[in-house]
Amino acid sequence: MALTEKHESTSHAEQLYQAQLRRDRIFRANVGVSWAVLFLILIFLFSGQKFELGDFTFKTISLNTSFIVKNLWFIAQGLGQTLLISSLSILFAMTLALFAALGRLSAFPPFYAVSTFYVSLIRGTPLYLQIFFFFLALPQLGIVLSGLVSGVLALGLNYGAYMSETFRAGLSSVGKGQREAAMALGMTPGQTMRRVVLPQALRFAIPPMGNDFISMTKDSALVSATGFVHELMWRAVKVGRAQFNNLEALIIAAIFYWMMTLILTYIQGKIETHLAKGDR
Amino acid sequence: MPPIVKITNLDKYFGRLHVLKSVSLDVPERQVVCLIGRSGSGKSTLLRCINFLEEPSRGIIEVGGIQVDAEDKSKERRQLVHNVRLTTGMVFQEFNLFPHMTVLENVIEGPVTVKGMERSQAIELARQNLENVGMLFKADEYPLRLSGGQKQRVAIARALTMQPRVMLFDEPTSALDPELIGEVLSVMKKVAYEGMTMIVVTHEMGFAREVADRVVVMSEGKLIEDAAPEELFSHPKDPRTQALIDRYRSEGA
Repeated sequence: MALTEKHESTSHAEQLYQAQLRRDRIFRANVGVSWAVLFLILIFLFSGQKFELGDFTFKTISLNTSFIVKNLWFIAQGLGQTLLISSLSILFAMTLALFAALGRLSAFPPFYAVSTFYVSLIRGTPLYLQIFFFFLALPQLGIVLSGLVSGVLALGLNYGAYMSETFRAGLSSVGKGQREAAMALGMTPGQTMRRVVLPQALRFAIPPMGNDFISMTKDSALVSATGFVHELMWRAVKVGRAQFNNLEALIIAAIFYWMMTLILTYIQGKIETHLAKGDR
Repeated sequence: MPPIVKITNLDKYFGRLHVLKSVSLDVPERQVVCLIGRSGSGKSTLLRCINFLEEPSRGIIEVGGIQVDAEDKSKERRQLVHNVRLTTGMVFQEFNLFPHMTVLENVIEGPVTVKGMERSQAIELARQNLENVGMLFKADEYPLRLSGGQKQRVAIARALTMQPRVMLFDEPTSALDPELIGEVLSVMKKVAYEGMTMIVVTHEMGFAREVADRVVVMSEGKLIEDAAPEELFSHPKDPRTQALIDRYRSEGA
């Protein structure tokens, strides 16, 4: 008697669990179908179809396919530059962000001041202006930088200022007890930082840094304004303007940016679950 | 024999709050001292001043012959504090194991990074100490996978692997579920019987009665009573000590 009761109660829990799984599956399937429909509508809008409804004739946008075929490769070649600028800039930004965050947490007034001054100045001015500042204004002082270097400096400085907040949060997430345990073992402040605080802070900061990298790949399009970095956006604008096919050119670039974002988001998701699994 | 820990006229202020009022305490080598008192009496602060996790405001601390004046501003002081920390091991209420390191890595971190010991030698020493606290079987686990009692036993092994002459325990069982307190206390008992000098801030009256050579009672930043446990628990001299003991009794401790 008792046995059957127990059996029933576990199978009831199992039923509830299965129902929950089913609901989750149905939700995901619905979202997937809806995405597909939205995607088809988007394609339809650009398919150049013509059809009549009574007295009205509807036409969807038609794209110049021969232009697309001819210039697809030319624009695609910009992917490498886009990823190069983004990678160099994110490395520079991470370094700056780390120092800015340490300065922000420093009890030494000059460090604190430099850090807050930098963050305030950069966050208080547009990224577009900063890129032009390095590329157009510095030559007036005799400093001539290439488009790529200007872009990397500007993007790095800009993102560094924003990312310093992420790093600061990461450093603050490491409890006081951790530092005390390190000090009690006799570690110097430097050893405490390197061996105990930083590894934990970085772990905390990796997911938000992934987000920053993804938005960097898109903001890198601004570097095209210098006219000397042949990344995705520059290439799209160049061929689009030359043949007055801006629509097609920008759509190609948009698709590349979107695909890149999707892929990077997927990778970032993998990294995040990996980190969460090892959460220790 | 001179005391291994000698605290002389120690004062500590937190802002305007006077939390230690000219406290003096001598602890001879191999003695186990339990510090008891209500929360806010200053017992944890006193303990944390011994290895300078808390900077005392005035007074002198001497550990293993290394003397540090609280008001000393010289450059050599930093080295002296470092030497004091090498002489003492500390166990915290919240364990404070390093979560990004395995149990074994936690235990060898001090010897390797601070003392520059050979990794293989540190591992050997660490394994011995983990064995001693019954935690060798978890050597390759991360702290997240351990119970509170297991974490605290690892923390004790970590402190012991630095081969200190004095062990400081700051309420080592206060963060533990009641059923896990016993395993930690029995490890501490073992450490005590191996001859380690121990200063223990605790609410565990059973431990104090059984293991301590001396029980020191604090109240409002002062030492109000200092006696052998049987003496203190049966004939407390100060009414505040009596009140404290009564309170522990009524809580069933």
